[in-house]
Amino acid sequence: MVRRRPKPADPHRRIVGILAVLGLGFLAIAGQLLNLQVLEGERHAQLSDKNRLRVRPVAAPRGILFDRAGLPLVDNRPAFILVVVPRDAPNLGAELERLAGILRLPVTDLRERVGRVPPDSPWPVRLARGLSLDEVARIEEWKLDLPGVTIEVEPQRAYPTAHSAAHVLGYVREASESDLERSPNRLRRGDLVGQSGLERLHDDLLRGRDGAEQTEIDAYGRPVRTLHRQEPVPGAHVYTTLDRRIQYAAEEALGDRPGAIVVLDPTNGDVLALVSHPAFPVERFSGPLDKATWLALVEDPTRPLLNRAVQGVYPPGSPFKVVVATAALQAQVITPFDRLPCPQTWTLGGRVYHNWEDRDRGPLTLHEALKWSCNTFFYQLALRVGPERISRTARAFGLGRVTGSGLAGEVGGLVPTPQWKRRTQRDRWHPGDTVSLGIGQGLLTTTPLQIARMMAAVANGGTLWKPRLVERVESSDGQLLQREPEVAQGHLDVAPVVFDFLHSALVAAVEEGSGKAARVPGVAIAGKTGTAQTHDFRDEADRKRRDRDHAWFAGFAPAENPRYVVVVLAERAGFGGQVAAPIAREVFKAIFLEKVASAGRPS
Amino acid sequence: MRRIDRRLLLQLDWLLFGLTGLLVAIGLVTVWSLVPRLGVRQGVWVGVGGLAAVVILSIDYHTLARWSYAAYGAGLMALLAVLALGRSAQGARRWLSLGPVTLQPSEIFKLALVGALAQYLASRVGERPGWDRTLVPLALATPALVLVVKQPDLGTGLVLVPVVLALIFAGGARWKDLGLLAGLALIALPPLWLLLHDYQRERLLVYVDPSRDPLGSAWNVIQAKITIGSGQLWGKGLFGGTQTRLAFLPERHTDFVFAAFAESWGFAGALGLLVLYGLVTLRGLEVAASARDSLGSLLAIGATVLLASQALVNLGMVTGLLPVVGIPLPLLSYGGSALLTALGAVAVIANVRMRRFA
Repeated sequence: MVRRRPKPADPHRRIVGILAVLGLGFLAIAGQLLNLQVLEGERHAQLSDKNRLRVRPVAAPRGILFDRAGLPLVDNRPAFILVVVPRDAPNLGAELERLAGILRLPVTDLRERVGRVPPDSPWPVRLARGLSLDEVARIEEWKLDLPGVTIEVEPQRAYPTAHSAAHVLGYVREASESDLERSPNRLRRGDLVGQSGLERLHDDLLRGRDGAEQTEIDAYGRPVRTLHRQEPVPGAHVYTTLDRRIQYAAEEALGDRPGAIVVLDPTNGDVLALVSHPAFPVERFSGPLDKATWLALVEDPTRPLLNRAVQGVYPPGSPFKVVVATAALQAQVITPFDRLPCPQTWTLGGRVYHNWEDRDRGPLTLHEALKWSCNTFFYQLALRVGPERISRTARAFGLGRVTGSGLAGEVGGLVPTPQWKRRTQRDRWHPGDTVSLGIGQGLLTTTPLQIARMMAAVANGGTLWKPRLVERVESSDGQLLQREPEVAQGHLDVAPVVFDFLHSALVAAVEEGSGKAARVPGVAIAGKTGTAQTHDFRDEADRKRRDRDHAWFAGFAPAENPRYVVVVLAERAGFGGQVAAPIAREVFKAIFLEKVASAGRPS
Repeated sequence: MRRIDRRLLLQLDWLLFGLTGLLVAIGLVTVWSLVPRLGVRQGVWVGVGGLAAVVILSIDYHTLARWSYAAYGAGLMALLAVLALGRSAQGARRWLSLGPVTLQPSEIFKLALVGALAQYLASRVGERPGWDRTLVPLALATPALVLVVKQPDLGTGLVLVPVVLALIFAGGARWKDLGLLAGLALIALPPLWLLLHDYQRERLLVYVDPSRDPLGSAWNVIQAKITIGSGQLWGKGLFGGTQTRLAFLPERHTDFVFAAFAESWGFAGALGLLVLYGLVTLRGLEVAASARDSLGSLLAIGATVLLASQALVNLGMVTGLLPVVGIPLPLLSYGGSALLTALGAVAVIANVRMRRFA
């Protein structure tokens, strides 16, 4: 039983005191209600019925995305938008028909937009964005027949050059129903929301806060007088790690081929360029986008919405030999002085495995095998190393898991192990699986960004940096809001001499070996080409059809003090040495020879 | 947990439950009429809050009060956690994500503060009142106030002040000390001003001079006043005014829910609602006066003042008497954490009354 405690001396009087204070509060509220609802009730009811005050949001300009030198990658320009206030449009149906005629838009689109709000809503509904001057003039002509319809000017996304860096920057679109559902407090219907890339990643900061304008309207719903205006707070500026010059040069270099290019700074993980092709027409998204265009993009078999650099998974092919070589040297199953044969074909368990060239290069050292990218050498080496050690080293290089770039939809790829195969495929791991793994084929899949990070680790002596896309975020008045640190996610437990060995072998591969086409005079480039089959070939004829292989180049420069990692993937384009290496050369040239590809390709 | 004594069940405070149920029902109907989807969600929260209330009722308040120091400490930690990693909404970090639900620790934390202060003050009863009656409670409450305001949640900070003061007053503080406290408060105001966030200062300034922010909070208040006033004597009925007037009104299902109610039900309804809150207050203080011991008395006072002062600050803000500080109307506004706290406070009062003879 709990001990009884005596009460304070005068508790009741003090409780009455508290009651008195609270009672006064209740009386005050009651008095105010009497005042508002009874004494002034009629006036308030009138104000409520004939409310000729309108508040319309004033859109905040979205923050600008800058490159690392402070050059804009995307900013804003004013655009005409068409707005209707349903409450002020007495015969909305007829007005929409007329507007649809002027704008040559399906009237159902406009009806759909208006249909989402109550028919007497006092809030403006955006009907169309990005009107041409001609359209504006014609709507003004019909002004008197279109009560409640106004044309306003709002900032809209604009790209300073013909290049858009579409996949890494992303795009903005009007908030969807599910966006509105998710953040009802922050978003209003018609607000623009970042939908992919950095626009999505930093949407909250980029968006800013809309202002508002309180106006008195006439019988046509047109503003006659602005009573008050609250300025919008512009969105914050995002300073990316991208280098506009390299980004644009990489876009030029890849040209019309489907594929991806990633350029990383191996000293800290900064993403200097990230290209994916085919790209989507970024400007179409901010303007009026009809359903047909949207569906065409989504259903396009070349998948322009896919960011191949982080969402595309490809067998890495020969660049993966770097991983096998590292595992082999670390496990000491081979030394730089040992030789293994490099025949034209090599047989295991009755199955014939081919080298990519039809000649026997005789016994090679590991250095030479990397230089010539000898497959038959690596089949044998992979068997010596074993699948566990290869996959462990691959994971240490960051393969098989997402890099943490923050880009939406990034995938992790797959590093197969015997256990994994037993568990998911209910199948034994065959020696043939190890052989395929040895040249970066088979079940192994990676993204171009993963390969770039792997090469960066080779370049910098084993540090696995998290790819960093944004350096800092500043408010529109220059205050630092966020600084993203450089994050080292791990360090490979590999002897420095192994990296020295890899550097010299990769330099040789570009100088004399399979990657010759990537050479740039005056710059020591280290790199590895690759030609990755989408699946094992079945017969001789199929093997010869190289046109369906992915072409890779993964390298870095300057070799003595690596500052740039360049990874090129050209989808189904043929030999890495013939297709990907020349693309990489163009990127290296742009980096080192300041030979900037024209910044504003005529569109 | 001990089994509840049969006799205790006979002492359940049906009057208080009836009043509370009425208020909750009014809230549900109003929120539902404004945003049907949220009305349903609020219904779920009512269920959760009811369960929490049953749990609070079933534990003797002496036991509850003994836990409250620990709960208070945990609450401070939670507030720190919110500052460090809370989810921010509209620029304020108030929410902590726990799987599918997000919690506002500052809401639930209010009850822990009441418990801790009551526990301390009750333990001093019978001794000569001295400085400790004023200073210790203040020292206990200060970190909470600072953290809450820093969060930044000015409204919650504001409603905690009357709760702390009422408990100090009822806990037997000397008049002399109370006078000194008032003097000190005057001196302390300028530095506190510096602690506030810019926009919090701006809000207070807007109250003094509404033209500073014609479209922000002042606009809200003007619209709220028109909305309430247009209800006149008898109101426009449940759906009578919602779409036309209320489209102008921001936060109409949360902090400004009273405006929607007053538009629909007029002066008669609004006054009725005020009477309901008044009766809850009266009942709470009656329970405090007839409590078995001073711990019960102080708990009931704390819980009652918590409910009443929140209601008064919210109503004052919506009717334009007080600055817009953004606190919900207890038991009525949409919002899970706030409802949980309000039902918890009711359960504390009922708990004290139920055990007044035991």
